[in-house]
Amino acid sequence: MDSLFTAAVAGLSAGGAYAILGVCAIFTYRLVAVVNFTGAAIGAAGTFAMVALFELGMPLLLAVLFGVAAGALAGLAIGLVMTTWFAGSNASTKAAVTAALLVGIIAVGLRLTGGQHPHYFPEIIPGSAFRLAGVEVTWAAVTTLVLSVAFTLLTEQFLARTRTGLQLRALSQRPMAAELIGIRVRLLALGVWAVTGGVTAFALMIIAPLRSPDFASLSLLVVPALAAALIGAFSSFRAALIGGVMIGLLEGSVSAIGPVSQYRGAVPFLVILAVLLWSQRGARWDEAR
Amino acid sequence: MTTFSIGALQVDRSGIPVIRGVDLEAKGGEISVLLGSNGAGKTTFLESLSGIIPVRSGFINLDGVELAKLRPGARAKTGLSHVEQGRTVFPAMTTEENLKVALHPDADLKEAYDLFPELLQRRNVEAGMLSGGEQQMVVIARSIVNRPRVILIDEMSSGLAPVIVSRLMRAVRQLADDGIAVVLVEQFAALALAIGNRAYVLRRGQIVYDGDCAALARDPAHLHRLYLGDAAA
Repeated sequence: MDSLFTAAVAGLSAGGAYAILGVCAIFTYRLVAVVNFTGAAIGAAGTFAMVALFELGMPLLLAVLFGVAAGALAGLAIGLVMTTWFAGSNASTKAAVTAALLVGIIAVGLRLTGGQHPHYFPEIIPGSAFRLAGVEVTWAAVTTLVLSVAFTLLTEQFLARTRTGLQLRALSQRPMAAELIGIRVRLLALGVWAVTGGVTAFALMIIAPLRSPDFASLSLLVVPALAAALIGAFSSFRAALIGGVMIGLLEGSVSAIGPVSQYRGAVPFLVILAVLLWSQRGARWDEAR
Repeated sequence: MTTFSIGALQVDRSGIPVIRGVDLEAKGGEISVLLGSNGAGKTTFLESLSGIIPVRSGFINLDGVELAKLRPGARAKTGLSHVEQGRTVFPAMTTEENLKVALHPDADLKEAYDLFPELLQRRNVEAGMLSGGEQQMVVIARSIVNRPRVILIDEMSSGLAPVIVSRLMRAVRQLADDGIAVVLVEQFAALALAIGNRAYVLRRGQIVYDGDCAALARDPAHLHRLYLGDAAA
């Protein structure tokens, strides 16, 4: 039982990062109407930029800042593609485009980062914060959790209380009507892509030392991100926050259960399946009648 | 005084010419009524003016500024406002948020509530929950607080009760009296001609009448012929 608890606590860092990624996924979906499969890949680009600069001898803090900026730029690049050629497309076309872009980014990312060539991922927030029932809770876990809660609350307040937030909400509801009243639709959309790119990059930097250190593995963290977003029904930031943390805890717990520990990576898929089945229960009931 | 001029405008949809060499002029303080049967090209014409769809050739000029190559947002910044058909409120935002999001730095929400006092008590209600008439008021009021010099209004009466339509028509007349140039596309020809100054009739993408609203209102048979063309004979 103790080992299960220890493993669950070990999943807190990942849970916090999943929560941030999930909130970013909802942010992108709600404001620019894109189910974004490239979210984690954008973050991976920023993370590897940080690693490359660190390996070249740049101080860690500076490398992190450049990495976040690289993530924002990568997000901006994807945003440019989406707003230039797919602004008028429907949601499924946009999702398909980001899925295709994900494949392309992974291919290019693996090539540029040397495939499976090992890189040293520095712990940007090292050390133990406190002990919880005898279990060490790291600063990385505390930081990702605090960051995920802060990002969720700030996002909600920003959308509710600022003029730019109001414009973003208008943009998300009726893009053309928003443009017809003079809202700078493209600029705001690009801002959303850049912000989510930068935030995702920072979240991945924190948990990268705990994951397989290759570009593809980090990029595929889009799966738990979308699972968290799905728990929030691509609408509720808070539900995605809780969902992301729960997925992290569940993953951590599963890793302590011997026979199934090697399948811990399947947890987000199971969560997605469970949420989809749950969301369809009304339709099944209607059909049965 | 504002002058909004359109000349030799040609617009295609899916490669097919829909607007074919249209000339129109709207002046500040006047309502230019654009009439025509279904499929004549009225909505396409307004959408090309506001930039929703591109023009093939011709000019769109607002007080000396050429708009034809600008994006919709840039046209809005120059003072062109488009009230689309279908009551395009932002449904998950309150009435007041719908107005605030379009508020020009020199404008005041009071102007919107003065035009439609009935919105005041509905200001904290989500726009998606308002009645059709109230939603149309929100869209027109949202346009006003954007400080336009020209307003294009497309089928604002669609699906509304006659008493609401009359209320909206009075408001539109008030906007023109305040100095705004209004281009009004309307299915209720008699009501539109009653408040308008200059009338245009569009048939198969071409202007077939350009004249006084009152003269056209006095001769419904002529209007009928203009709508239907050879088929009326």
